Amino acid sequence: MHPSVFSEQTVVDRAISDICILLQCSRHNLNVVSVGKGLVMGWLQFLEAGRKFDCISSPTTAYTIPVHVEEVKDIVSVAKYILIVEKESVFQRLANDKFCNANRCIVITGRGYPDIPTRRFLRLLVEKLCLPVYCLVDCDPYGFDILTTYRFGSMQMAYDAKILRVPEVQWLGVFPSDFEKYDLPQQCLLPLTAEDKRRTETLLLRCYLQKEVPEWRLELELMLQKGVKFEIEAFSVHTLSFLSDQYIPSKIQEVEVLPGNKI
Amino acid sequence: MKFFTDREICYADILPPSEVRARIEVAVLNFLKILTCADPAISDLLLINRKSSNRRVSQGLLTDDDTWIFLSRSFCKRSLIRANAAKAFIRVWKVMEMCFKILLQEKRVTQRELFYKLLCVSPDCFSSQLQVNRTIQALLRCSRFSLGIMASSRGIVAGRLLVQEPDKEMVDCSECGSSGYAISGDLNLLDRLVMKTDARYIIIVEKHAIFQRLAEDRVFNHIPIILITARGYPDIATRFLLHRMSRTFPELPIMALVDWNPAGLAILCTFKFGSIGMGLEAYRYACNVKWLGLRGDDLQLIPEESFVSLKPRDLQIAKSLMSSETLQEKHREELALMVQSGKRAEIEALYFHGYDYLGKYIAKKIVQANYI
Repeated sequence: MHPSVFSEQTVVDRAISDICILLQCSRHNLNVVSVGKGLVMGWLQFLEAGRKFDCISSPTTAYTIPVHVEEVKDIVSVAKYILIVEKESVFQRLANDKFCNANRCIVITGRGYPDIPTRRFLRLLVEKLCLPVYCLVDCDPYGFDILTTYRFGSMQMAYDAKILRVPEVQWLGVFPSDFEKYDLPQQCLLPLTAEDKRRTETLLLRCYLQKEVPEWRLELELMLQKGVKFEIEAFSVHTLSFLSDQYIPSKIQEVEVLPGNKI
Repeated sequence: MKFFTDREICYADILPPSEVRARIEVAVLNFLKILTCADPAISDLLLINRKSSNRRVSQGLLTDDDTWIFLSRSFCKRSLIRANAAKAFIRVWKVMEMCFKILLQEKRVTQRELFYKLLCVSPDCFSSQLQVNRTIQALLRCSRFSLGIMASSRGIVAGRLLVQEPDKEMVDCSECGSSGYAISGDLNLLDRLVMKTDARYIIIVEKHAIFQRLAEDRVFNHIPIILITARGYPDIATRFLLHRMSRTFPELPIMALVDWNPAGLAILCTFKFGSIGMGLEAYRYACNVKWLGLRGDDLQLIPEESFVSLKPRDLQIAKSLMSSETLQEKHREELALMVQSGKRAEIEALYFHGYDYLGKYIAKKIVQANYI
């Protein structure tokens, strides 16, 4: 309607952010919604706008995270923890291995950078269920960025961080040190590209790495120093179900048994 | 018009793991037989050629509606003898071996995981994901899914449809909210879905945002429709389900709601005819899809400012569509109009008339039977 003022989508997006800051509200308060991207599966049951999501009856089926998170209620769960995975392919792997049958948990993925409904949903689950939250990402700058988005919020939506961030998120893996620990062959290590190195250096400048999570900083520096990265899928070289049968359960056990080991 | 086009088709079968393993075993035995016979030789691997030169079109006998694309029997050879192609030859065997092992375990694998496994087992042969992907295609004339490769689906369904997975509860897709019913990537599961409907039309929506808008507005409570989207370029599972729907409910016309640009028409054509990229699996899932909107006669509804000029990529797509012999006459005219005007428009432009306008627009067009 006003093409001289609004020439592109990005102009509109920025304007919406400005309005949110001005009015000190969130995007969804302005009734601005995005298409839903996230998936959830596991030992969870809830209602959304009259529709029942019964993940408990089939814990290995994926359900789309509802877009209107404010309409979610009656959350019931018998899970012991929430697991966030970065990629859809890892989510699929866990579903295929029937991970939730053997492990009482809720698995969520934002399929890459999480969208707002996914982050709000996660926040809601944490508030209602008070469960520990573990995050599993690739050992590369993108993975780390996604981890920090869940935990601290994103830079673009910094004004909304209070509602969208989830400080309970813990970094479960994958760490640079896991490479030797789990005996991965050398070919699985991929070199950091120049772009990756630049990204990592930018990430290291972020303020929360100084104060709130200095341990994360050490791991990131190790990644940069070694100049290599690797993906979660690398674990499939041992057996396809290595991730579900061994890696994740052992990591969780480490965190639970030694609570001081929190990272 | 050929009567025996069936003989020319090369198609990929959806096979159970035991069958695929059997085919691999046969391939190995054949290779060994030629190697150990009196006149030994290393036999070449014949893989179906996935180039446009090998593309054939089957024209429907009575109407245009049954046209589809398939790959014919032109082979490209993978041979150990040719020096620069030797590695490609070895790669095919390595992938077959890996798939065999995975099928034996009765597991599934993602392409990325397959890459890592191959990388570690044979680092000299595989250096990139792309090589793995290329090698998998057209292997053994069975679908990728049969080889044990997990694929996700981007498709969703909403509207007047009841689906029931085997041994599970019936799901009502009109009660699924704005996120709809997610289409599984498991083709075996989709094959066993029980479906019931009281809808009168099926509408394919190009974009997720439009789908969400229509689902949220519960458009299917006003018009008896099923909404389906692949959220962009269609994947195999979505096409598979659409095809099943068209076979289960043959009296339901299928219509597409796409943006007014060559890419939108390309998506319509992929649902309708298949694509070479999907090669051997294309023919199975072709459906008779009609073009509901946006079309040339809707342009008057769109404000002038919403038009954007066509980019070079759009013109490229238009050119390749024009040159395809499957394109219907009326669609061809629409495409020519697009190129001539040099402009494109998105469905969202219709929101100019109000957010509920889209539902009314669809209803009006259906009632007027205004689709080509």
